[in-house]
Formats: sequence, C-alpha cells, structure tokens
Amino acid sequence: MLTNLFQSNEIPLLEQVVNFAQARQNVLAGNIANLDTPGYRTRDISPTEFQARLREAVEQSHRNPQNEMERAEMTHGGHFQAVKESLSGILRHDDCNVGLEQQIAEMSKNQLQHNLAVTLLTSQFQLLQAAISERA
Amino acid sequence: MFSALDISTSALVAQRTRLNAISSNLANMSTTRNEAGELAPYQPRFAVFQTDDAIQSPEGAVGVQVSSIEFATSEPLWKYQPGHPDAQQEGPKKGWVAYPDVNMVQESVDALEATRAYEANIGVIEVTKNLNQTTLRILA
Amino acid sequence: MSIPSISTQSLGQIGTGSFSKPPMQGADGPSFKDFLVDSIREVNTMQQDADRAMEGLFVGDDMNPAEVLTAVQKADMAFRMMMQIRNKLVAAYDEVKNIRV
Repeated sequence: MLTNLFQSNEIPLLEQVVNFAQARQNVLAGNIANLDTPGYRTRDISPTEFQARLREAVEQSHRNPQNEMERAEMTHGGHFQAVKESLSGILRHDDCNVGLEQQIAEMSKNQLQHNLAVTLLTSQFQLLQAAISERA
Repeated sequence: MFSALDISTSALVAQRTRLNAISSNLANMSTTRNEAGELAPYQPRFAVFQTDDAIQSPEGAVGVQVSSIEFATSEPLWKYQPGHPDAQQEGPKKGWVAYPDVNMVQESVDALEATRAYEANIGVIEVTKNLNQTTLRILA
Repeated sequence: MSIPSISTQSLGQIGTGSFSKPPMQGADGPSFKDFLVDSIREVNTMQQDADRAMEGLFVGDDMNPAEVLTAVQKADMAFRMMMQIRNKLVAAYDEVKNIRV
C-alpha cells in the first residue's frame, strides 16, 4: 500500500529526471575540467536517449498499470527502474571536440531541467502531504 | 525544450571563430612567408557565417554557423625595402617586399564588434536562464 | 493542450438549486450528490491532465514549461478547494449530528 502511494503519481518519473540531471552534471563538469587535457575526448550522457527510454517507460506504465501485488514486490521504481539501470549504459564518447561554449550551454540546460523537475517533485509531495494531513 | 540557449550558443561559437580569424590577421600583418618557409605573403582570412537549420526552435528561430573560412584575394601591400632578405630579386618590383594586405584599423573595429556580439549573446543567455527560473515561480 | 478552468458556476448551484428547495420535491435540478461526484471527477481529470503534461515535458514533446506549470498549479488549487469543501461538509455534518432533538 505504501509503495502504491508513490507509484500512482508522477514522482517516479520526476525522480528519474533529477537522477539523470545530476549524473549528467558530473559528466559535463569532467569535460570542462579536462578542457585543456591533450587527447581528452568529450563525454556525455545522451539526453535524447534518456528521453526515449523515459517515453518507453511512461507508455509501458500507461498500457499496463501494475497491480498491487507486482508493486509490493518491487522495492521502488517500478517501470522506471529500467530507466535508472540504463543510465550507466548510455555514456558515450564523442569524437568531435566540442568547445567550452557548448559544454556550458549544455550545463545550463541541464540545470534548468533539474530545477524544473525538483520544483514539480516538491509540488507533488506537497499535494500528497495536503491529502494526508487533510489540510490545504 | 531550451532551444533559445542553443541558438545563442551557436552565435557564441561563430563570434569566437571570427575573433580567432581577426587575431590571426593582426598577428600575421607582417608575415612574408608561408608555413613552408616559401616566399608568399600571409593571406588575411575571414569567417563567413550562414544560418544553421540544425539548430532550430519550433517558432522558426535559427542558429548560426561558420560556413567557411575565406581567404582575401586582394593584392599584397608593396613596400620598398631593398635590404630585406625577402625583397624581390629581379623584375620590375626589384627591391620591393610583399606584405599582407591587413588593415589594422578595420581589424581592430571588427574585433570590437565581435566582442560586443559575443557579450550581447551572453546577455541573451542570461535573460533566457532568468526567464526559465522565473517560470518556476508559477508553482510558488 | 487545453487547461480546464475552475468553474464557480457549479458552486452557485448549491445556493440556488438543490438547497433552496425542500429535499422532497427537488428532483428537477442536479442533486447535491451529483454535484459532489462531478466536482471530484473534475478535480481528478485536472490532475491527470497535469500529469500527462508533465510526462510530455520530460519525454521531449514540444511543450512550454510555463503551460505545464500552470496546469499543475491549477490542478493543485482545484484539489485544495475540493478538500476545503469536504472539510466544511464534515464540520457541518458533525454539527448537525450533535443537535439534540
């Protein structure tokens, strides 16, 4: 029942987005740190790939909403667990050496996405809080 | 989702390339030989921009990219320096040295313009980021 | 994406419709129960729309963050409004329950 509480809303999705943003921030920070390293190849976690996996997970959760039993078996994550596990697999090395500007722009975009997800996550938790405490 | 940032970044990259070309021109304004050491005055180069369809916002705004680096085709500047080792040895230009046709004033103004364009795009990026942060205040 | 608005029109029906008439003859207007169930359904639909918008935003659909946040905030407000109505109803019920006849 308690896992159900966090499965019937958008919390798992937002969780994955925040996870991804944090992982990507680390990779991008590494790129900027190695800007002058000879022979360094830019690394990145592909956001388009992540979005594709996320879309898959969302569609899957729409097609067959998990029943109570299945949910109880999984500790957390449900359909979105696969997205999390795939995160480590989509790290790619870029042969073309992109410049400082692109890296910083990617970082800014990542930050905005992260903040957006965290804000929405906060509102989801507040909604649950309001429903539980019966106070608006 | 954040294509405005990509467009501004493409301009940053393009302006930086232009600034690189300008600094190259100014650095080589007295270069009389090419990279192989042969007698050939440096050719001033210019970054040529074109719109980039690959970076596009749904509203139709497009980014910019450097389409090519073009070389100046103008005549070299001739200076009469008979003692110069690179002076013409025979012919009607005997004793004259070919220098690159780099206009220092024009290049400096171009450098300033590229810097201002860079700053303007940084300003736009700042505004875009602020705008996106402010949007979050809808969920106060 | 269409964002449903919080309608105050249906709230007005409380005063003019089913409540002003004696309960025995008020069969023509929508009953209070229907109104309550409809409102809850409306709030639920708004929540689900907001959820779909959120999903679309993060899986890469072409969406405006401001639109999505507004949808979420509206759904939030509708939910809180609904909850307050419910709280008042429970309070009213308690009061009626304590009347001694």
